[in-house]
Amino acid sequence: MSTTQIFLENFLQALAVGIMVGGIYGLMCLGLSFIFGIMRVINFAQGDFMMLGMYAAYYLVTGFGVLAFLGVYIGPFVGAVLAGPILFVFGFYLHKFLVSRVTGIRVVSAEAEGHYAQLILTLGIALILQNGALLIFKSSPVSIRTPLSIKAWELGPFMSDGMPVLFNQSRSIACILAVLVACGLFVFMRRARLGKSLRAAADNPEAAIYMGIDVDRAHRIAFGIGTAITAIAGGLVASTISFQPYVGIEFVVIMYAGVVLGGLGSTVGAFMGGMVIGLVQQMSTLILPHQLQNTAIFAVFILIMMFRPQGLFGRTSERA
Amino acid sequence: MGGDRKRTRRTLTIIAGLAVIYLAMLYSVETNYYKTMLTLVLIWATMGVSWNVLSGYSGMISFGHASFFGLGAYTVTILFIDFGVTPWIGIPAATVVGVLAALLIGFPTFRLRGHYFALAMLAYPLALLYIFEWAGYQEENLPKRDDAKLFFAQFDDLRIYGIMALVMLVAGLLISLRIEQSRFGLSLLAIKQNESAAEAAGINTWLWKMRAIVVSGAIGSTVGGLYAIVLLVVTPLTVFGVLTSALALVVVLFGGVGTLWGPLIGAAILIPLSETLRAEYGAILPGIDGVAYGAAIIFVILAAPDGIFWNVRDWLIKRGWYTRPGSEGLKMSEAGANVAGAEKVQPLPSMRKAEPAPTGGATMLEINSVSKQFGGLRALDNVTLSATEGSILGVIGPNGAGKTTLFNVLNGFMPPDGGEIRFQGESVLGLKPHKVCARGIGRTFQVVRAFPRMTILENVMVGAFVGSKDDVEASALARDALVRVGLADLAGALASGLTNEQFRLMELARAIAPRPKMVMLDETLAGLGAIEIERLLDVVRQLRDTGMTIVIIEHTMQAMVRLADQFAVLDHGAVIATGTPDEVVKDPAVIEAYLGKKWMERAAG
Amino acid sequence: MLQVDALNVAYGGIKALNGASLEVQEGEFVAIVGPNGAGKTTLFKTISGTVPALSGSVTFEGQDLLAVKPARRAHLGIAHVPEGRQVFSRLSVLENLEMGSYSDTSGGSWSSKLDRIYALFPVLAERQTQLAGTLSGGEQQMLAIGRGLASSPRLLLLDEPSMGLAPTVADQIFERIEEIHREDKVTVLLVEQRVAEALESCDRGYVLETGRVVMEGTHDTLMANDAVKAAYLGL
Repeated sequence: MSTTQIFLENFLQALAVGIMVGGIYGLMCLGLSFIFGIMRVINFAQGDFMMLGMYAAYYLVTGFGVLAFLGVYIGPFVGAVLAGPILFVFGFYLHKFLVSRVTGIRVVSAEAEGHYAQLILTLGIALILQNGALLIFKSSPVSIRTPLSIKAWELGPFMSDGMPVLFNQSRSIACILAVLVACGLFVFMRRARLGKSLRAAADNPEAAIYMGIDVDRAHRIAFGIGTAITAIAGGLVASTISFQPYVGIEFVVIMYAGVVLGGLGSTVGAFMGGMVIGLVQQMSTLILPHQLQNTAIFAVFILIMMFRPQGLFGRTSERA
Repeated sequence: MGGDRKRTRRTLTIIAGLAVIYLAMLYSVETNYYKTMLTLVLIWATMGVSWNVLSGYSGMISFGHASFFGLGAYTVTILFIDFGVTPWIGIPAATVVGVLAALLIGFPTFRLRGHYFALAMLAYPLALLYIFEWAGYQEENLPKRDDAKLFFAQFDDLRIYGIMALVMLVAGLLISLRIEQSRFGLSLLAIKQNESAAEAAGINTWLWKMRAIVVSGAIGSTVGGLYAIVLLVVTPLTVFGVLTSALALVVVLFGGVGTLWGPLIGAAILIPLSETLRAEYGAILPGIDGVAYGAAIIFVILAAPDGIFWNVRDWLIKRGWYTRPGSEGLKMSEAGANVAGAEKVQPLPSMRKAEPAPTGGATMLEINSVSKQFGGLRALDNVTLSATEGSILGVIGPNGAGKTTLFNVLNGFMPPDGGEIRFQGESVLGLKPHKVCARGIGRTFQVVRAFPRMTILENVMVGAFVGSKDDVEASALARDALVRVGLADLAGALASGLTNEQFRLMELARAIAPRPKMVMLDETLAGLGAIEIERLLDVVRQLRDTGMTIVIIEHTMQAMVRLADQFAVLDHGAVIATGTPDEVVKDPAVIEAYLGKKWMERAAG
Repeated sequence: MLQVDALNVAYGGIKALNGASLEVQEGEFVAIVGPNGAGKTTLFKTISGTVPALSGSVTFEGQDLLAVKPARRAHLGIAHVPEGRQVFSRLSVLENLEMGSYSDTSGGSWSSKLDRIYALFPVLAERQTQLAGTLSGGEQQMLAIGRGLASSPRLLLLDEPSMGLAPTVADQIFERIEEIHREDKVTVLLVEQRVAEALESCDRGYVLETGRVVMEGTHDTLMANDAVKAAYLGL
C-alpha cells in the first residue's frame, strides 16, 4: 500500500468519524443556538448542561437502572432522549429564577451592560454545576456501557488489501438519533404554533408583544429547549466516551465555534456549523497530533470571528 | 484634578497601612498552611488587579487571563527545570513573556466587540492548555535545590514568599493608581461607557486598549511566575484552566470593579473562604470551593453588580459618613491655571491649523455630493452643503431623513460611497474618528451616559485629552469649557443626578473642551422644556460669537428657527432646501416634506 | 372605547408624555398628528405596554389597561401596527399573518379572514411564502396592517404607516385603511406625521406637541387651522 493510499484510507476514516461526531456536535450546537442565537445570552454553563445530560442518561440506564428493562441495546438511547425532558424542566426554571433577572426586554435595550451581567451569571452557574456535580457524582470517570460501542459496520474496503471504513455502531446510531431529534425540532419550529411564536419572539420581541405573544415565557421555553437539546446530545455521547464532571468546558468552545460558524440566529446554520466543526476536529487529526484536535477548532473559531463574524448562514454582522 | 493630591496621599497611606497589617498577620501565624494561604490571597489579589486593568476599567470582559498567568508560570518553570535558570531571572522573563503574549492576543482580538471578545479570550487559555499537555508538560515539579537556596529563590521560611507577593501586589496597586489618575484611566472609562463617543472625542481607542492589555498581561504573568515557585507544582489545568480565569474575574467582581480596592476586598474574603472550605470539607465534598465561587458570583451579579466596594461606598456617602476628597467645588489645584488664567491658555498645537481670515465668511465645512447606501436604502443622496466660519448651520428634516447618518459619515464612523468632505480646505475622508476630532471637529452624542461616580470636571476632561499635552492642561481646558457653558460652579460635583439640561450642557462642554473649530450637536435640545431650550440656545449663540462654527441637527423646528443662521433641509437623504430660516420655512418643498403633499394641495386650492 | 387620561411617560431619559389626554369612541376614526418628538409613538407604546407609564390612566372598554400585562393586551382586541412596520423578517408572509392571529379570540374561520386580508392586499397573496424581510417597504406596511387585522381587532392602532414610503404608495395604504374602517367596522386610531393624509379620513383629530394635546377638533376645524402649521414649522 502506497503512502497515498494509506493517507486516503485515513482520510476516509477521519471523514466517517467526522460525520458521526459532527451529527452529535450539530445537535449540541442547535441547543446552544436556541439560547445564544435567540436570546443573545452567552451561556458558559452550556457545556455543563451537556454534562448533566450525560449523567442523567447514565443514571437512568446504569445508575438507578430505571431503564434496565429495555436492555443494553435500546436502553442507552432511550435514556439519552429522556434526558431531554428532565433537563427541559431544569432549564425552564433556571431561566425563570436566575437568568431572566439579567436578560429580557428591559435589559436587552440597555446596551452592553446586559451582556456583561449574563456572561458573569452563567459563569457562576457553570461553576456551581461543575463543582456541584463533582460533589454529587464524584470525579471518577463513568460511561454507559453498551456492546454496540465495540461493534462497527464496515464500508468497503475500497482498495485491494486496504482496510474498510469503520462505522462504530454506537456512534452511528447516536448520530442518526441526533439528526432525527434535530429534524423533529425543525418541524416543531416550522409547523407548530408554539414553535412559530418562539421564532417570532426571537425575530422581533417588541412586535411579538403586540401580537400578544408572551415574550418572557417564550424565552423561558426557548431556554428550556436549548438546555434539553444539548442534554440529549450529552446523553448520546454518554455511551461513546467516559466522562467526569469537568467534561463540559471542553465542549463550550466547540459549541460556540459551531454556532458562530453557522451564523447567529440560524438554527439550520447552527446544526451545519456543528457538523463542520466535527469534521474539522477529526480531519485535523490527519495532520495534527491527537491531543491538539481542539486547538484546530479554536483556530477556526478565531478566524471566523475575525473575518466572517456573520458565519456561513448568518445575516447580520455583529462586529462593530 | 483638584483634590487629587489629597486623594493620592490618602490612598497611599491606606496601602501602606494594609501592608503593615498584612505583615503583622504574616508574622503571627504559626503553620505553613496559613502562611501559604496568606500568600495565595495576595497572589490572587494581584491577578485581580491585572484583570481590573484590562477589563475593570475598559469594560472589555476577558475570560482568558489564565493565558498570562499560565505563560508566566511556565516561563519560570521551564527556565528552571530545563535550563537551570534562577527564578530571580525567570520572573522578569515571565513579565516579558506576558507583554509579548498581550501584544499577540490583543492585536487580532481587539477587532472583536462585546461577547465575541469574551469568547475569544476564553479560547486562548484552553488552546494553551491542550498545547502544553501535548508538549508533555503534564506535571512539572520544581526540584528542591538545597545547595543554592537563595539563588533559586527557595526559602524555608514561607513568609518570604508572602513578602514577595506583597511587593508584587503593591507594585500592581501603584500602577493601577497611576492609571486611575491619569488620562489612561479616564480614556479606558470613556471606552467602557461608549466607545464610539470616545473615538469621536479624539481618543485613539485601539491604542489605549493595547496599552491596557499589555500592562494587564505583564502583571498577570509576573504573578503567575511567583505562583510557580510558591506551589512548586505546575500543571496545565491549574494554571490555564477555567477556574484560574474565573478567579481573576471573581475576586474583582465580588470586591468592586474598576477600583483599586476591589481585588483586595474580593481576594481577602473569597480566598480564605474557599481554602477553608476545601480544607475542612474538601475530602467529603470535593469541589465545594468551586461551588462557593459560583454562588459568590451569582450573589454579586444579582445584588451588587459592580461589586461590594461600590455598594458600601454609596451607602456610606448616603449616610454622610464619607465624603469624597476634592468634591468641595471649584478649587483650583496648585498646578492648574485659574479662571482668568484659563483665558490666556495659548492656542494649542493641534488646534493651530491654518487660521482662516478673521473676517469670517470663510467656508469651514464643505460637503460635496456625498452619498451613502445601506443595502437597498439610500440614506444619503448626493448631499451638498457647506458651513461658514462663525455661523450656525441647522440640519433638519423629518424622521429617517438621514441626518444622523450624515453626522456619522462626517465623523468618520463610516465612509461615504461617494463624494468629498473638506474641513478648512483639507479632505477628511477616510480618517478615523479620533483623527477627525484632532483636526478640530467636536461632536455631541444623543445617548451618552456620564461617569456617575466621577465629577463633572472629570467627565469633561475626557474630551480635553485630544487637545492637551498633559493632564494639567486637560484639566484647565475642561474648566474653561465648563465656564463657557455656565456649569463652572458644578465642576466638582458628582455627575449622577444631573438634570437633563445640565447633562446636555456637560456633554456640550466635553465636545468643546479641546477648543475645536467646529462642533456638531446631535439633537441637543430633545426633550427639554421651553425655558431650558432658551438657556441652551444662549450658550450655543455665545459659542458662535467666539468664532466657533456650529452644525446642529434637530427636528424641533421652533427653536431652530430662532437659532440658526442657515438651514439645510434633508428628506429621504437628499437636500431639498437651503437658505435662511425665513426662506426655508416658506419653501413649498419643505412644507410638503413635513406636512405632506395634500396639505400643500389644499393650501393652494 | 379607549380613554387616555393625564398620561405621564418617561422614555429614553426624556419626559415623552406630559399629561396627555384623549379618547376614542367605538366606530370612530381618530387621527393624532404632531411633529417629531411629540410623543406619538410613545403614546402607542404605552397603550401596548412596552413602555411603562409614570402616572395617569388608560382605559379600554372600561378596563384599566395599564394593569393588564402587555402580552395580554392584544387578546383584548387591540391590534398595534408599529412604527417602521416591524414585520418578522425571518418568517414568511403567511407566518406573519398567522402570528397576527395569535391573539384572536373572536372565533370564526381563519381562511375567511385570510381571504379578506388578501382581498385588501393582493400582493400578499402573491408573496405568501416569501420571507417578510425581502418585501419592499410598501409591501411590508401592507403586511403589518394585514397582521393587525388578523386578530379581528376591535381597535386598530396605526403608527405612522406612511413613514419612509413613496407618496403614491402611502396614498394606497391610506385608501386601504379607510376601506378597513368603513367596511370592516374597525375603530381606528391613526398616528401620522403627514397631516393632510391623516386628517383626510378622520372623524376627529388631536394635535400632539411636546407630550401634550395642544389642539383637538373635528375633521373640518383641523384641516383649516393655521395653528397646525405653526406647530410643525415653528412660525
